Amino acid sequence: MNDAAAAGTDADPLGPGSMLYRLTRQARWGLVATRAIVLEAAHPQIGAALITNSTFVAHPWRRLRNTVLSSQRMVDPDARVRQREAARLNRLHARITGIDAEGRPFNAADSEARAWVVATLFESAVTMCRLSGESLDGPTLDRLYAEFQSFLALMDPYGGKLPPTVREFWRYYASVVEERLENTEAVHVVLDRLFAQVPAPPLLRDQPAVWAAGRALAGPAATAIIVASLPESLRARLGLAELPGTRTLMHAAYLSTRLATRVLPEAWTRLDTVMTMLDPVYAPQRNGGAPAGPPVLDGLPVLEGLRRGAAKAGALLRLLTPDPETASDGDSTVRSASRFFSEVLDQTGDGHLDWPDLAAMAREIATRLDLDAQDEDRLFAAFADWWRELQKELDTDGDGRITGHEYAAAAAAMAGSALVRIADVLFDVTDTDDDQTIDAREYQALFRTAFDHDPGEGDAGERLSRGEFVRRFLGFMAGRRHSGVYDRMFAQS
Amino acid sequence: MDGNGRWAAQRSLPRTAGHRAAEAAVIDVIEAAHTAGVEWLSLYAFSTENWRRPAAEVDVLLRLVRRAIRKHALALHTRGIRCRFLGVTDPRIPPALARDIADLMALTRDNRRMTLTVAFDHGGRRDIVEAARSLIRDGVPPEQVTEESFARRLPHPDMPEVDLVIRTSGEQRISNFMLWQVAYAEWVFPRVLWPDFRAEHFWECLEAYRRRDRRFGGVQAPAPTGKRH
Repeated sequence: MNDAAAAGTDADPLGPGSMLYRLTRQARWGLVATRAIVLEAAHPQIGAALITNSTFVAHPWRRLRNTVLSSQRMVDPDARVRQREAARLNRLHARITGIDAEGRPFNAADSEARAWVVATLFESAVTMCRLSGESLDGPTLDRLYAEFQSFLALMDPYGGKLPPTVREFWRYYASVVEERLENTEAVHVVLDRLFAQVPAPPLLRDQPAVWAAGRALAGPAATAIIVASLPESLRARLGLAELPGTRTLMHAAYLSTRLATRVLPEAWTRLDTVMTMLDPVYAPQRNGGAPAGPPVLDGLPVLEGLRRGAAKAGALLRLLTPDPETASDGDSTVRSASRFFSEVLDQTGDGHLDWPDLAAMAREIATRLDLDAQDEDRLFAAFADWWRELQKELDTDGDGRITGHEYAAAAAAMAGSALVRIADVLFDVTDTDDDQTIDAREYQALFRTAFDHDPGEGDAGERLSRGEFVRRFLGFMAGRRHSGVYDRMFAQS
Repeated sequence: MDGNGRWAAQRSLPRTAGHRAAEAAVIDVIEAAHTAGVEWLSLYAFSTENWRRPAAEVDVLLRLVRRAIRKHALALHTRGIRCRFLGVTDPRIPPALARDIADLMALTRDNRRMTLTVAFDHGGRRDIVEAARSLIRDGVPPEQVTEESFARRLPHPDMPEVDLVIRTSGEQRISNFMLWQVAYAEWVFPRVLWPDFRAEHFWECLEAYRRRDRRFGGVQAPAPTGKRH
């Protein structure tokens, strides 16, 4: 096996033979990514980009799903898929620029910052292995490091590089921790808000009470586990005290991930499996964005049984609990402007509407459809036009952003011609075969669900014409009608 | 469920009061069928044509159905009753009701003691048209279309043919109810209005069905399938 793996390393450092390929498919990769996010957020450039542009606090599950899909594409067996994904990520990051609270410019495509992202992932992967009692020997460590170097080279072929050897890496890592990392606002948003307020995953969305109870226990525990695993000096700088017992908790948590990965059937600890449990709509995508058919649960009767059991328990709970919706506007398909503002428009969850919110919507669509550069530009341009229209008509105090109040006061009277353009562009980029209708496959790519009975809209039938597609989009965006598929894309998750 | 309106009118009550009173009859009949060992029971709750009724009445009906589902879900489940719905495609069905229906079906999907099919927003012709459409869409050659293969395209193809249809309040029409499945069904037309219909009426109907079977068939029927309209 070693020979085969070594041969794989020479030929293809990121393919199915790589350690990264295996790691990114295990559920405990989620632990690595979460810890890495804290280290990234402490970097001033990345922290600023996260705080102003990211939707991960308001929509963590959607963000997690996109990250997982993206990292799996980056180690796809087909090198073209990797190239394409790297190019897409680069375009995505190039759009995230700005000036932080202290007036320093930031750019998500900055080479030094990107090298740090890869560095934190490597270091977190190594830490995970170490804390779960699985020490990596020299050659294995070298090999893993080489894979991460290839990963960075794929992302940023002309930019920054990681130090050539693992030994030099640790010096680099220590110096960044000492000299570059700061007590940024983003770190505290991740630690305090993300874990304490993370909304229910799609599976438990209809049982807010159950979720809140679980989160009250798990949230602080997750924070403690992450904090305890951070470098000592950084912890001091961030003002994070280590509570008694948290080291034990952390070791127990890491050990159990390892045990689970070893003892449980491989399929159970696969990231795809966990994601599918949390979000029944999630379906891992295959190469080139061809929509995946049935979820990965084929051949897993036990898990399918579990899922059915959970579905039944959920159904029973919903039927037995007093219906919260009847009190509000449960039976109505129209929502108020202020609810639409907070549930859909304010993607970053900071209470006001500005360009990053609309960019996040465009990004979500572009990610789902896996658009090429040209289509992506068209989509972002259409959203930018809409932003200008919104600013012109709604930003009454001229501060460059729109508050919920400004929106609610004037939204109903808006002309919305820019929205029609977005709908048109969205139709064009979704209609990949240019036959002027959205068929079942194209629908699946955009909404990640088959044509289904959408209670707000009626049966979609077999295909959607341009007129019908535009009507539905406008109905959701302007008329503020509930729509199952658009709600799942923008409001929930 | 015929006769709710007349029942209410006889008591100088609004029509909707008749619908409210119907709930007790529904529960009584489900209970009676369950005890009698009926394995397939269908209720015709709402036809595609019923949308033409006054909006306020439709609204009350939809609310009543939703309340009944939530109220009786657990009891139905613990009795081993699998609940299914026939129809339920109209966009006018409120999302909350659609979700409750989906939940009830998900909750009881593995039960087998009795299958309760609620025809809601149902039209027999529409089901037949849909089945024909699906055959055409799949390009099935005409010579391969048989009664059996056609029946497999209808909703809930595992449902056996209807043995007995009970239509209350003396009405004697089919009214677009499961047109394909009632081809060989026996019909009884008790005069009692639906809100007054109780277990003993149901037993009488089953008895009438048994007598009829003895007179015409000579073949002992399996557990009778009560079809309540």
